[in-house]
Amino acid sequence: MSERLVHDIGGDLGYGPILHDPEEPVFHYEWERRVFGVMFQILRITAQRPGEMRYAIERLAEQDYFEHGGYFGRWEAVCELLLEEYGHLEIGELDQVLGALEGTGPASRARRIERKILNLLPDDVEVKIPRAKTVRRVLPNSPRFEVGDLVQAPETLQKGHTRLPAYVAGKQGYIVAIHPAEVLPDSSAHGLGERPQHVYCVGFDGEVLWGSQSEKSIKIHVDLYENYLLPVKQH
Amino acid sequence: MSHDHNHSARSPKIRIEALEDLLVEKGLVDRSRIDNLIQKFETDLGPMIGAQLVARAWTDPEFRSRLLDDADDVLAKENISGAEIEHVEVKANEPGVHNVVVCTLCSCYPWALLGLPPSWYKSPEYRSRVVREPRTVLAEMGLDLDEETKLQVWDSSSETRFLVLPERPSGTENLSVVELAALVTRDSMIGVAKAKTL
Repeated sequence: MSERLVHDIGGDLGYGPILHDPEEPVFHYEWERRVFGVMFQILRITAQRPGEMRYAIERLAEQDYFEHGGYFGRWEAVCELLLEEYGHLEIGELDQVLGALEGTGPASRARRIERKILNLLPDDVEVKIPRAKTVRRVLPNSPRFEVGDLVQAPETLQKGHTRLPAYVAGKQGYIVAIHPAEVLPDSSAHGLGERPQHVYCVGFDGEVLWGSQSEKSIKIHVDLYENYLLPVKQH
Repeated sequence: MSHDHNHSARSPKIRIEALEDLLVEKGLVDRSRIDNLIQKFETDLGPMIGAQLVARAWTDPEFRSRLLDDADDVLAKENISGAEIEHVEVKANEPGVHNVVVCTLCSCYPWALLGLPPSWYKSPEYRSRVVREPRTVLAEMGLDLDEETKLQVWDSSSETRFLVLPERPSGTENLSVVELAALVTRDSMIGVAKAKTL
């Protein structure tokens, strides 16, 4: 199992009840509104590549991911991280403004960007880049798998950004559908090219993921990029 | 060391206020654009867009089958576009089959159809638990499914976004599309509830 980042929590045990309010407003506090608005302006001058902003969130320290005001708190922390990494803020500049100890903000605690090994990424292919901003690509090659094929998710992938949730690592499932091909976030988030892939919806039976303790008649579907998947011989 | 001043400097509220001021001062952000964006997402977008699609699907079988076969084509023809709906798949609940949507890795959600996601959808509790024990989670949220009902969970790990088409409540045969749409809640299109009854 590869080293898990803070966000990869699907299937983890120990979480309590869901605080559910069917009539919940979009924002609870004014500061959440401000974070939301500021973030989109910041994205125009920082993380533009598919997966890049998500990877920045994933690099936050546990305390900032879970205990810094929830979803919009994570965004606030990521605004600071991206602004520093892109050189729009000096390291610790915001702390200074706030009269806080320099380097005590979320950016100071975040993980650095991992260096990916190029050989472990799939080859890039030349495709037409659409005029509109989209991650969808039209690939020259046909999908390697068909609906109904049995496949296995890899035990590990290299460190850095990926959309392979740890809870399906090494597990077998069936191709349920083929989605439009997309830019591979594992590569694009790291600035290593688009390397677009076919994308599959893979269905996993509850028992395969959670063993005999699984709730009955549940199926979990996860969308996985072609380069993640290994074929399984069916008897 | 950790006196009050230092402590407040850690809160996201204090930090974003100072950050916004600093960025405005540097000319990196524009306050009126920020205000416009907030306004757009808070008031112009919301679950009513998805609800109208569902209500039409309940009353028009041809529309329903198009929505289930190729939602992207329907959205294009209806001129519905916007954030987070590059590729949409609609999953129909029916007797014996129930669908529920999550994003375990972050909080992906079809913004342009449902508005911004509610807090519970983005919470670590929902994200971690609904893939492991979906029946328990749904029951806690007030939706009891019988054991024979197949439960399909959709984890939004690519750029595909999912919308649940809830079942039409009984006794609604004489309602108009507008009246039906009022029964279609945000929760019912995520799959943690059924549509409202009369």
